[in-house]
Amino acid sequence: MAYRVLSHTADTGIEATADSLTGLIGELCAGMFGLVASVVPSAARKWVEVSLEAPSVEELVVDTLSELLYHAEVENLTFCAFRVSMGPDDLAVKVQAGGLSVDAVEPVGPPIKAVTYHDLVVEQRDGVWYGRVYFDV
Amino acid sequence: MEFRRISDVVWELAASGGMTVPGRIFASEAIMESVRLEHASTQVANVAHLPGIVKASFAMPDIHWGYGFPIGGVAATAVDEGGVVSPGGVGYDICCGVRLLASKFNEADFERHRDSVMGNLDHAIPRGLGRGGIAEASLIPEVLLRGAAAALDAGYGWEDDLEKCEENGTSAGANPSVISDRAVTRGQSQLGSLGAGNHFLEIQVVDEIHDAEAASVFGLAEGMVVVMLHCGSRGLGHQTCTDQLQTTGAAMHRYGITVPDRQLACVPVSSPEGREYLGAMAAAANFAWANRHILAHAARGAFADAFGVSPKKTGMRLIFDVAHNLAKIETHEVAGKLVELCVHRKGATRAFGPGHPDLPEDLIPVGQPVLVPGSMGTASWVLRGVSDNPAFASAAHGAGRLMSRKKAKQKESGGQVRDQLEAKGISVRPGSVRLLSEEAPYAYKDVDEVAEVCARAGLAAKVARLRPVGVVKG
Repeated sequence: MAYRVLSHTADTGIEATADSLTGLIGELCAGMFGLVASVVPSAARKWVEVSLEAPSVEELVVDTLSELLYHAEVENLTFCAFRVSMGPDDLAVKVQAGGLSVDAVEPVGPPIKAVTYHDLVVEQRDGVWYGRVYFDV
Repeated sequence: MEFRRISDVVWELAASGGMTVPGRIFASEAIMESVRLEHASTQVANVAHLPGIVKASFAMPDIHWGYGFPIGGVAATAVDEGGVVSPGGVGYDICCGVRLLASKFNEADFERHRDSVMGNLDHAIPRGLGRGGIAEASLIPEVLLRGAAAALDAGYGWEDDLEKCEENGTSAGANPSVISDRAVTRGQSQLGSLGAGNHFLEIQVVDEIHDAEAASVFGLAEGMVVVMLHCGSRGLGHQTCTDQLQTTGAAMHRYGITVPDRQLACVPVSSPEGREYLGAMAAAANFAWANRHILAHAARGAFADAFGVSPKKTGMRLIFDVAHNLAKIETHEVAGKLVELCVHRKGATRAFGPGHPDLPEDLIPVGQPVLVPGSMGTASWVLRGVSDNPAFASAAHGAGRLMSRKKAKQKESGGQVRDQLEAKGISVRPGSVRLLSEEAPYAYKDVDEVAEVCARAGLAAKVARLRPVGVVKG
């Protein structure tokens, strides 16, 4: 995995790097759900598609993760596979997320309540995309 | 960032840069040591930037690193002077709080029925990932409007419960029309569920009485078995905060507001967006009041079945229910004048002192019960509100985390933590054994020290110490 879990006294964060924003969003999606359950991508049984636009890449990342969190909770799923494609100007994204019922997995961490803006970073550093997101758990 | 000790347990950071008031932390030297190791003190300083903030950006003795506000943060803004409301100052788990039930049982009674009580609670309290709630989703519209009163009318709980809830279990000004369909959808299978993380239901024994008069008024006696539960507004509250942060984040620039952390996004209390947030927050809070009310009903049923008596015969009346994640419009004295304030308590408990007119009549002589849960395996405290509280009638809300979840998991396994608790005579029914280590006693501050600092700082006074004998963990 290309994401790393960050220590936080009460909550949890992840950071990731990728060659593209597409790749970074995929890593952050995998990281967020990886905090809750460790499932291989091939275990995906149900797919959900979300499309979003936002005024900035930071907002796009938070909105995308929040949208997937919403679908996971109301459909009782955990996601483990992600197909990401970007729209124009890196301010629109489509994510196809594949998952399986949470009843079929042993949790490795508590459920995530929400995606925060605290200490949020989504930027290019020397040609590599870097992202850092903290979650309320 | 240097906080200077200005008295026994008060540390202050002078206002500088964009701070308009000082930062002030109530802490012992040991607690300050832990604060220095993380980012909470920076967050105290960041909160001091909020427009209209008065007196100081406060932090309670259970302070730790949060997101936007520190956990344990208290900030009041002057409503008539452009003061703001910040959804991040309440957090995602709107109206998360603690409820304490008495009982007619003592520890020996519990010992005789321990297995059946724990088994019944294990079955009766939905918790963990993906577990549905007790109540029907059809109740939600009425719950958003009337909170615990709606749950009572639907057959949950007892008539006299409401008077022992902060705000009588119904947050005024609720506007369910601004709760999104998405929020309702997230909450529809969760009314009457505990959740996970640090949420719990615990069976405790009153171990020490420190204030006999207040304990008597509250209905606590040494050796009594009590039940404490900790949970909030579940996905409905989480989604409401997410929705409102988008609104306030987009709107604050129109009001010329900038903040050092996007999570502190805020708008004037009196603005359309501010009023919308407070209406949404109150509706989500009503979900939380009802959620704890319904879970308490289930706990009474579990005890009644185990002891072979009716729920009423368990004596499990409500001692009190407090919130620790809310923003409230309250009147407090600032510089010798009574001022209408928006008081944010993010991981802090309202602590009205004796004589406060919003308290039920029997509590007026002694003040409001302040419930301070510790970590499983240590202790919890019942404090009481005192006069002349220096932080807008606020006190601690728990032990406060000391160690990250990552480090806590590395230290011991969930199975080890369970075995140690069981060896201490604490029965454990976890939602997931594996996750127990994230909430291990060593991951939290010493709750006795937090209670001691509350007392020495004049935030609240000690009434009783509670020792756990059983825990149902989310």
